[in-house]
This record gives sequence, structure tokens and C-alpha cells, in this order.
Amino acid sequence: MRYRVRHITEYTYGAPVSLCYNMAHLLPRDTRNQRCINQKIQINPPPVYQNEGEDYFGNQTFYFSIQEAHKKLVIDVSTDFEIVPIDAYKEQILPAMTCGELRGLLSVPNTPELRMAKEYLLDSPQIRSSSELKAYAESTFSDEKPILEAALNFTHKIFTEFKFDPNTTTVATPLEDVLEQRSGVCQDFAHLAIGCLRSVGLPARYMSGYLETLPPPGQEKLVGVDASHAWFAVFIPELGWIEFDPTNDLMPSDQHIVTAWGRDYSDVTPLQGVIFEGGGSQQLAVSVDVKRI
Amino acid sequence: MQLQTGNFITSVITEKPALSSAYDTPLNAYDEAFMSDRQPRKHWEPMLRGMSNLTNEEMLDRQRRAQRILREDGATYNLNSDPLTPSVWSLDLIPNIIPTDEWLAIEQGLAQRSTLFDLILKDLYGPQELLRNGIIPSEIIFSHPGFLRQCHGVTVPGAHQLLLHAVDLVRDSSGQFQVIGDRTQAPSGAGYALENRTVVSRVIPNSFRDSQVRRLASFFQSFKNMLSTLTCEWTDTPRIVMLTPGAFSSTYFEQAYLSNYLGFPLVQGSDLTVRNGAVWMKSLNGLARVDVILRRVEDSYCDQAELKVDSFLGVPGLLEVVRAGNVVLANPLGSGILEAPALVKFLPAISEFLMGEQLTLPSVASWWCGDKADLAYVISNISNLIIKPASRQHNSSSIYGHTLTAEQKHSAIEKIKKQPHLYVAQSYIPGSMTPVWLDGKMQARPSLLRAFTVANSKDYTVMPGGLSRAGESDKEAIVSNITHSKSKDTWILAAEPEQPTKNNSEQILLQDEALQANLPSRVVENLFWMGRYAERAEIGMRLLRTVFKQMNGVDPLPEESKRTLLEMASIQTGCLPGFTDADEELFAHPEDELTSIITDASRAGSIKANLQAMLSCSEQAKEMLSADTRIIINELRDHIHELDRAYTNGLPSAPEESLDSLVTSLLALSGLNHESMLRGLDWTFQEIGRRTERALQTATLLRSALTKPLPDVPQQQILESVLLSVEALISFRRRYRNRARVAYGLDLLMIDGTNPRSLLYQVEQLRRYIKELPRNKTTTAGLSPENKIIIKSLNDIQLADLEELAAIDEATQSRPALEQLMTELLEQLEQFTVLISDKYFDHTAGPQPLMKAIGENNL
Repeated sequence: MRYRVRHITEYTYGAPVSLCYNMAHLLPRDTRNQRCINQKIQINPPPVYQNEGEDYFGNQTFYFSIQEAHKKLVIDVSTDFEIVPIDAYKEQILPAMTCGELRGLLSVPNTPELRMAKEYLLDSPQIRSSSELKAYAESTFSDEKPILEAALNFTHKIFTEFKFDPNTTTVATPLEDVLEQRSGVCQDFAHLAIGCLRSVGLPARYMSGYLETLPPPGQEKLVGVDASHAWFAVFIPELGWIEFDPTNDLMPSDQHIVTAWGRDYSDVTPLQGVIFEGGGSQQLAVSVDVKRI
Repeated sequence: MQLQTGNFITSVITEKPALSSAYDTPLNAYDEAFMSDRQPRKHWEPMLRGMSNLTNEEMLDRQRRAQRILREDGATYNLNSDPLTPSVWSLDLIPNIIPTDEWLAIEQGLAQRSTLFDLILKDLYGPQELLRNGIIPSEIIFSHPGFLRQCHGVTVPGAHQLLLHAVDLVRDSSGQFQVIGDRTQAPSGAGYALENRTVVSRVIPNSFRDSQVRRLASFFQSFKNMLSTLTCEWTDTPRIVMLTPGAFSSTYFEQAYLSNYLGFPLVQGSDLTVRNGAVWMKSLNGLARVDVILRRVEDSYCDQAELKVDSFLGVPGLLEVVRAGNVVLANPLGSGILEAPALVKFLPAISEFLMGEQLTLPSVASWWCGDKADLAYVISNISNLIIKPASRQHNSSSIYGHTLTAEQKHSAIEKIKKQPHLYVAQSYIPGSMTPVWLDGKMQARPSLLRAFTVANSKDYTVMPGGLSRAGESDKEAIVSNITHSKSKDTWILAAEPEQPTKNNSEQILLQDEALQANLPSRVVENLFWMGRYAERAEIGMRLLRTVFKQMNGVDPLPEESKRTLLEMASIQTGCLPGFTDADEELFAHPEDELTSIITDASRAGSIKANLQAMLSCSEQAKEMLSADTRIIINELRDHIHELDRAYTNGLPSAPEESLDSLVTSLLALSGLNHESMLRGLDWTFQEIGRRTERALQTATLLRSALTKPLPDVPQQQILESVLLSVEALISFRRRYRNRARVAYGLDLLMIDGTNPRSLLYQVEQLRRYIKELPRNKTTTAGLSPENKIIIKSLNDIQLADLEELAAIDEATQSRPALEQLMTELLEQLEQFTVLISDKYFDHTAGPQPLMKAIGENNL
């Protein structure tokens, strides 16, 4: 499957901004089933300095700074992908490791892989393990359960018990509140799932990217209605990182496009940085369009 | 003459019982100076003998002298919000002495430790073999906030990543040095060590000379060399700056001192800016490229764009410039991870893994609670251990197991059990005892030594000395907190006398001229304001003195004169409404309001507020002040304290007296500026500040005093008061005899170019100074705006008709021409200061974070 993703981020400021420095995680990375064939990034006003790089997690970064006064900043990223479906079935027929076995391995890690996976077991800037999260997930991930199966069940549990509601949370809503109010958006669900997994001693990481949405039958798809998306992945020795999407109750195959992964949102924030002067009332508009090519 | 049981003193110190009678080393503790049989160690003999030749009074005298030098050098720490009472660095006269052979082993051990830490740093931000192979349990690094993933893969050019390293050492009871901690971000203390050396070698020169002490200068030379060879790709003459968190940093003195000694400008984050992928310093000449930054700001505070976004200390965009290789930071960002106490336990294994060597300088025995066996040990032995959080944070402190009650122990253990990987335990080493001169006698105190290394082209250079600290009381043995300890010079003895070389001077290196021209504009702005506040305070005090003299004169003051004078005091200081809107009651009892105008620091414009503001500015520009200036500033502080004392119960009987000494100090300060300061841009801006302020104050004074016409007698009194307050009354009487006409007064105060307090004089000087400023070229638009405005003021003054100014308009009962001219001049001068500061000083507001995508934009 080939996709073209167009992601336009537009900042509008109440007063002119004289200077800005930004680090973007907007360019996609290659993954085991995804390859980027073409990418273009356009920034207006044009940056005086820009640099592409790779971060600690192997994600692509794009750094830029603008030195001319501007009231509007537009970052327009267009990327073409090729994605091959993941054969989820194949993964499921492998000998199933149980949650108890993995916890045992992690307590005395004896391979480099396990040692490095510990990074995703510990608290991260936006996700802290807690007894509440543990209580919510404990029975799903009991010792005898195969991890893969448990993670699928847990994905389903979140999907059925939580309401998708963009008006109840912000980027800063704590997990305990999300759990309490049983609602949020994809990012909250991903964070919640990761927090739960870590609280029961299983390594999980945050996946950031896009999802192709299909219009209702018979209607034409509108431009810009797609959105950036977030889900999570669980580490299972020998299988590696297996992904789950609790917002849509499925295992991503070939409709999920990955831009970056990390411990949580803060590691892969699409655009972070500072502005000088102006700003005042910042407004942000994001438009994402995913189409098959 | 007895030290517990021994009688050694008789052989060494024959006449001085007081030196030793209280000296009491706990059993089992190692003593730096004395052996267990109470005989002095050989390398201490010359020092102890030297001390025994001094009387108590002489020792005390030296101690006082040392404290005075420190105060005059501005050696302070922890400058809180009160600029009046800085804490002076506490220094003990008796140095810590380490003999040649012993130091050789320590030196090697320190260099080896730095080499190892360098390799660890390279590995953690690179291949992470230590983690992959399980040499360091990965969660120690992964959970440490000092592990900055943003710095992954960033390297410093040259052989080393770790450029500066400080190591805290204590001796165990056998005398073996053990490392109890490392500082690897922005180690402090080397400057204090240098200052201690300077003071001690001045105060006890004989002992210093006789002891063959190794010099520190060569270390600082290596330090400088290391920094200047960090960049070679794009420049042969790198500009090196020292990045400070600012005047409220607890070690600001040291930073200012070192920056002067090394000859690097001291800059704050806001003095630097990132443009076109490089770092620049905002100087008066515009932007100047910076190549190397010696930083005293901690890792995560250095860049708001990628690290802590709410930091006030950083340079937004800095990390990307480092990443691109266009600036070098010493130490590199992310080096704070090496300070993790949990690493200590694993150092022997790490050393074996990375270097195939054993560490010759041991670390204190440590346990990491993330390990099950360690946790069990810690729980059962907590009474003998120090518990530390695995990451050192500002609000975290160590727990000393032996000080805990049973209940506290229980709760500490519970806390550890919850998140064991976040705790580390160390065995408790009280540290060696060292002699300290305290309360007139020599006493034994526990001590700690901080040693320093810097990278050189292939290895590490160790400072032949260090910063020793000793506890003030004998109770708490670990001397971790600077505020409760005395510092000591550390003497490493040389096998043979060192020949001082050309580079070996321990005096402050002269600043070169290029540096002068490249001051950060913030420093110059502070000098500008220092000049303004000094002038403002001086004129205010002069006027108040005059008010007091007139009111307490032999003859009672006519009511009209009194009112005008009091109103003038309110207007001049800006403490409004004060007397300008006063009722009969207030005029009848003006004492409280006058006291408030002088001593209420919370009132903007009060004498004390102005003096405090001036002192704050001087603190901000500390590294620019000469030794004599610092002495006067200290005097000024003392005088302010005296003023407070005199005014404790309201207006004293002779209220002008305590103002006299303050005025004298301010005069000394301005005299010193004239006589000893090089005419660099720093001087020029300070003078511009002073002249502008004096002109503003004089115009204010003339307007408030003379606009309102008064009957003859009060008019004369007011005119004379004005003249008296600006020290022109004698000249006036000589020139005009007793004809006290307003026009004559204006002649002297406005347009007499020979009177250094006249308006004309100030504006003429300003005209001269601005010609010398950079970026002052005439453009197609003609003269620069600040030039134009000064020329306009100059003309307005020179073209004024004095008789017309003095003329009274009977209808409005005022002198409208005078009022108008003074108002115009005030406006022009205010505008002038705005133009100057907009052009030369930086007023960029701090950065604000970019808004982040919120929920609605996500699926």
C-alpha cells in the first residue's frame, strides 16, 4: 500500500514573533514494514537555519530557526510511504510467552535486548506507574496469561470502557484523571495503556503517527479531516515491539503510518520550541490528509 | 600544654598553651596534623612551629586581616535578596597540608578516575556497551533525570568528553583517601581555592615561604590552554566566555573571580543569543561570535528550546549549535549523569570493563538498593549508612542513618522499599580531623577535600591543591554544606622549591583591550544604572541634609520656606505624594515622613531604595569593580547599617550626621571613577549614567524650588538651600555678595560651564561622551537621534534668557518660562536615556514556549 500524507501545522500569533527555535518530529522513520519513498518539508517564513538529524530513539528530527518577524508560521510536510501489511497471525502462532515469564526475565535481564527494554519499564516525563493503574490492569496481565493475548484483551478493554471525547482532556491531563473520567483521545488512551503495562511490570512504548480514515460509504473523502494518531507497543522477546491501537481496538497492520516512537508524547512532540516577543495569543491549527497513491 | 595524654607540645610549641589545650581528636579518627601518640606529623612541624611563635593576639589579628581581605575582594556566597548583608566567605588560617609522596599517589588516582569518567560519558551517550553488557544496571541510567537523551551522539572535538572534574575526598580512620562524590557538570570551588591561596599566602607569608608549597598557577594555565584548544576548525583565536547563572548564584563571587583571573567575559544566558547556527554575545559593538562556553549553569537549564523550557538561565537553541559543532561547552551538556551516586558501586567493574585496570583511589563503599542483596544489607545496616537519592536534586538531602530514631528508620526503609532503584547507600566515614583556629584556640574538626582535574591533550592535569573544608562544630562530621563550614587552603608540599615562572603569577591577569570592548551589554547597563542610582541617592541626601539644617537652624524657619523645602524633598526623591499633598498635621510633624523618605527601602525613590539599587547593580557588574571600589562599597554597606541604627526610633536628634558619611562614600566612589578607571566603554557608560541623572536631578530641583514665587525672605532661603545642597552657596556669595536674586542663582546652576554641578556642564559632557560611543556614525538621516537631542538640550540651555526665566507671572503666581524650560529639558533627557538604552542595551523579553498540539487535533 502506498500513501501520501500531508501534514500542515499553522501557528498564528497575536503579535509578531521576532525569533524562534524549533525541534520537530514531523518526518517519518522507517520501520519493519514501512518505508519512506519521498519527503518534502516547507516552512514559511523560510528558516535561516535548518538541520535534519536523528534522535536518541532513531526518529528523524528536523530543527529550524527563524529570525525574521512573523505573525504566522506554516510547516507543511508531505511524505510518500510504502507499507506492507503485518501478518499478525504469524506472530500469534509463535510459542506464547506469558506475562509471568517476561516479568521473570526482566527482573534478572540476561540479554542486551532485555536490559535495553528496561528503559520502557521505568517512569517517563508524562507517564508514572501507580497503584491505580496497576489495579486497573492487574487481572488482564496475570502471570499465566500469554502477553500477546493479554495485550489484545487490554486494548479491547480500553476501547469498550473509555469514551472518545476530545473535550475532556488536554496534553497535560494526568493519567489518573483519564482513568477516573473514563474518556479522552488517542494520546490519552496510548498513555494510559503504557502506564498500565509499566505498572504491571511490562515494557511499553509510545507510537506517534497517522491513520488513514475512510469516509462513510458513498461519500467523498474530505481533505484535511485525517489526524495525527497515537497508539502503543509492547516488548515481547523474540517478537520485538508489537503494536496495539486502543482507540480503534485493533493491531495496526497497513493503515497506521509511524512518524516516531519514544517513552511517551514528550519524547516525540511534533513541534517543540520557544518564540521571542509577540506570541501573546498563540493559535494552532493542524490539518492532516492521508490518501492512497 | 596538654593534648589529652601527650606531652609532645613541649617539644614543638613551647610557649603557646592556648594553641593546643583544647585540641581533642576522637579516638579512632585519623588526624591530619598529629599522630596517634599526639606527636605532630613531620610535614606539619614547620607550620605548627610557626604558629607557636605567634601570640593569641597575633593569630587573631591575622584572622581579622584575612576576613578583611576576603570582604574587600567581595568574596561572598549566597547573596540573598539583601545586597546589604552578604555572607563573607569563611576561611581558616591554618592550611591543610599534604606531603609530596602521599599526593603523588592521590594525583595518579585522580587522573585515572577522570579518565574513567570520560570513558563512561562517551559510552553512555554513544554505544552504551556498559548497559548492554549489564556492567551498569540499565535502570540506573534510564531513570536518572541527568541522562539527557537529547545529547545522545553529541561530541566534543578532541580526545576527551569530560573536560573538568571535581572529586570530593575524605580520609577513613586508617588515613586512606576515599572518594565520596564527583562533580562533573559545572564544578565549583577551584576559584575559592585560588582566593584562599591568595589570602593565606598574604596573611602568613613566612610559613608559606618556608613550606615549599606547590603553586596553583600552572593548573589554571592548563585550564586556559584546554579551553583555547577546544576549537581549531574555524578560528585560531577562540572567544571564550564564562556562563553564569547570575549574581544570585551561591558561588557568584567565585565565578566573577575566575572569569577575571582567566580573562573571559562573564555572561548570563540572556547576554548570549543563537543566530545563523552560531552563538553570539550581545556586546556594545553588536554581536560577537562565541566559540567556547565555560559553563556554571547546570545541564538541563542551558537551553529552553530543547531542555527545561521554563529555565531563566539558558540560551535558547544552544544545544543545536553544540550538535552542529559550532560551539563547545565545557563540560558538555549531559555530563551530569556522571554525578549519579548509584554509579559508585559499579566503578571497579566499569574500570575493569573499559580500561582493564583497577582503580587506585578507592570510592566509599556503596550499595544500590535496586539490587536485592544490597537492599537487604541496607535495611539491616541502616544505622551505619548514609542514604542518598540516586539522583542529586536541589531539594533532596541525604539521610544519616545514625541520627535516626527507630520510627524514622522504619519510615525511611518503607520509602526505599517502594522504589528501591531510586536509593543508594554509602558507608559513613566521619573524615579526618584537622586543626582549625576557632574561638582563640586550635581545635580539631572533621574535614573534606575537593580536588580538581582538567583535561589536557592526552591525559588529565590535577590541581596541586584543592579546596579543603572543615566543620564549624565537632558534631556533624560530614562537611557537605558550605554555609556551615570553614574553608581552608590546601598545601601540597613540593620535593624542592618551585621556581616561579613567567606564567606562574597568581595575580589576576590583566584584561586585554579587545575584551574591554567586548563586554556583554548587560554589564555595561549595570554600570550605567549604578552611576544613575549613585547620583540619585547623592542628590537626595544632599537636599535632605539641607532641609534638616534649615529646619534645625538657630532662627525659626518661616512657614512658607519650610513647606517649600519639605515639598522639594518629596518631589526630589519621588516619594509621592508625601508633602506635596500634606495637611497641617503633617507639616507640623514631618518627622515620620522624612524618616520614611530616608530609610524605607520598600518605597521607590527613598534614599535607601536608591542605595540598595546601586549596590545590586554593583553586584551584577562585580567582575568590573576595582579593589578600591569594593572597599568603598563595603564602607557604604556599613554606613547604611549605621543609618538604620540611627533611625531605628524615628528621626534622630542630628539627622544629617548619618547622611554625611554616606555622601562622602558616594563622593569617594565618583572620585575613584575619575582617578583610577581606564577610559573604556564601561567608564563612559557609567559617566553617561551619572551626568544624565545629575542633569535630571538638577532640573527637577530648579523646577520644584524656584517655579513658585515667594516673598523676599523665604525666596532667599529657598535659593540658598538649593545652592547649599549643590555645594554652590560659597561661590554664589563670593560672586554676588548678598544679592540673592533667582536669575543669579540660575546663572550659577544652569549656564555656568565651570560649575561641575551646573546643567550646562552635564549636557556638555554628555555631548562629548556620546561622540566616543560605537555605532555612532552620521548617516544620511544626519546625526543620530541621541546626538540631536543632546544638541537641542545644549542649545536650549545656552540660549535661555535668565531674566526672562526668573520673571514672575502675577496671574498664575509662577515663573512660567522657567517651568517650561525645565519640563522640556526633563523630557529631552528622559528620552535621551531611552534612546541610549534601546540602542546599546538588550531588552529582549525572555522566550516563551511554543504551544503544543492539544487533544482536539488528535484522533
